[in-house]
Amino acid sequence: MMMATFMGLLGATELIAPDLSGNLSWIVFGRVRPIHVNLVLFGFVTPGLLGAAFYFLPRLLDTDLYSEGLGRVSVIVWNLILVCIVLSLAAGYSQGREYAEMIWPVDMLIVIVFTLIFFNFIMTVAQRREPLLYVSVWYACAAIVLTGLTYCLGNVIWRPDSGALVGIPDAILLWFYGHNIFGLLLTPLSLGVAYYVIPRVCRSPLYSHTLSLVGFWSLILVYTHIGTHHLLQVPVPTWLKVIATVDSVGMVIPVMVVLINLWYTAKGRLGEIHADIGGKFVFTGTILYFFVSIQGSMMALPQVQRITHFNNWVIAHSHVGVLGFAGMIALGGIYYILPRAVGKPLYSRYLADFQYWLVLIGVVGFTVVLTIAGLIQGNAWFNGETIYRVLPEIHMYYIVRASLGLIIFVAAVLGFYNIVRTIFGRPAETVVVEGSPTRELLAGSESGLAHQESGLAHQEVAS
Amino acid sequence: MYFPYFVTYIVVGLLLGLITFGWALHSGQFRDQQRARFLPLVRSETPAATSKFGRLETYVLMGMACIGLLISAFTLIYSLLRG
Ligand code: HEM
Ligand code: HEM
Repeated sequence: MMMATFMGLLGATELIAPDLSGNLSWIVFGRVRPIHVNLVLFGFVTPGLLGAAFYFLPRLLDTDLYSEGLGRVSVIVWNLILVCIVLSLAAGYSQGREYAEMIWPVDMLIVIVFTLIFFNFIMTVAQRREPLLYVSVWYACAAIVLTGLTYCLGNVIWRPDSGALVGIPDAILLWFYGHNIFGLLLTPLSLGVAYYVIPRVCRSPLYSHTLSLVGFWSLILVYTHIGTHHLLQVPVPTWLKVIATVDSVGMVIPVMVVLINLWYTAKGRLGEIHADIGGKFVFTGTILYFFVSIQGSMMALPQVQRITHFNNWVIAHSHVGVLGFAGMIALGGIYYILPRAVGKPLYSRYLADFQYWLVLIGVVGFTVVLTIAGLIQGNAWFNGETIYRVLPEIHMYYIVRASLGLIIFVAAVLGFYNIVRTIFGRPAETVVVEGSPTRELLAGSESGLAHQESGLAHQEVAS
Repeated sequence: MYFPYFVTYIVVGLLLGLITFGWALHSGQFRDQQRARFLPLVRSETPAATSKFGRLETYVLMGMACIGLLISAFTLIYSLLRG
């Protein structure tokens, strides 16, 4: 997150002062931007969420992870990929297609790592002792399968030299993939984490598992078709645009189903969420999910998009989605799981809280500033004003954006420090857990829950 | 000619989806939903306590964060005045 946000900050500064990087080709905006975008996606949000999935999968399936060794290999390959991404893009080796910039060898490494993770996940599912698959398991597995498939297709991996088709078909393919990075990778992974962390933090069962499955299957049904909403201003076949627009509006259903379910689970228990920093990040992520999705459904209307397309409005939407929703939930997953995974207390709850506020202020600020800048740009273009008149008008907003970006960068540094100190910190002092919930609760009745709650009420931390 | 890719993908995707859904239906994934609600709560975990935080460290870190915030505030004010 530190590296990725730094690249964002560098890019934002270059938008204010275009001559900043001078003749240093490695850090011109055209290279810094894809590095920022791919690092946030593959270096921060996705691995954060995947780490949580590796943690909750065995627990929900009542088994061990199929292969720890394979998991370690995946981590090593994943990090190798990140190094390759930064080096190749900085050196100018790019396929020039948004979100699919990486060159063929890197593409292949990504396909391999997704295959390894998929194998590990699916074998863990196969050896499970718990017959029922909880909704988080569905989401995590679906995200890996669907991303693996769409990655191959979207990056046209059967054409190693160009990584592209030609003309409009290429744009359709690219955006089918590009959208699925958010819709079929980040969204399901984030929702999987939220469905795990929120009931645990609230110490209450999920409001409705049936509803969660309705949400899952409707997401699979609807989200897969909407890539073309990125191309509404482009001469792609009208039927594709119609499907994309209708399904984008239809996305209200899976989104609200998920949110109603999660919020009802947390109903009356906001205190518990507030008390757990992981839960706090995740819950805030769900609120921003509401905003980004409702905004998204509106942006998919052609009339609206005539103003909002191709300007900073979309960048605002991107940051609410990728940072506010998926990034927040990834951070929540990290903070929820890290102390439990390493068996050491979180180094500083205070720092984590501070980071929470910095990120929140940063992302809300981004939204406001970039939306205003986007409206100025969109309307100016709509009215036929020239770009030379518009650029000075939005200059001030770019400066404010960079300042807010600095806040997010500081937050990333604080988070890094907190995590490192947690990992290398002293082990937890004695912790006594009385009356911990056990299988008998699975009788499934509300009385089982009441019993468990009273058990948890006795949970004491003796220091 | 791009249709073959699309058609293959649609067919593979559809088949995968339908097979998985069929499997879920037959293996009882949609039954016993009351029990499924409790699944995240089954395993107990050791909640870790929060550790102590050195006073000096607090000051240094707060100082660093404040410097960052001050720089941001400064650029903000500067830009508003000059913008
Ligand atoms: C971890 C936090 C962040 C995430 C997840 C994130 C995500 C993204 C994404 C997905 C895009 C692509 C947007 C699009 O094409 O529509 C983007 C672009 C960008 N981001 Fe970030 N970002 C983060 C932090 C930052 C920070 C701290 C800054 C610093 C100001 C920043 C500045 C930028 C800039 C300048 C662009 C390019 C915008 C343009 O082309 O006009 N981002 N970011
Ligand atoms: C119901 C849900 C959503 C809908 C209907 C939706 C709709 C849209 C639309 C129509 C655009 C294209 C805007 C344009 O180019 O004019 C867009 C762009 C984008 N969306 Fe969403 N969105 C949704 C949720 C999300 C979520 C959850 C995320 C993040 C995880 C996200 C991330 C992005 C990003 C990064 C872009 C910019 C792509 C680019 O041009 O570089 N969206 N969205």
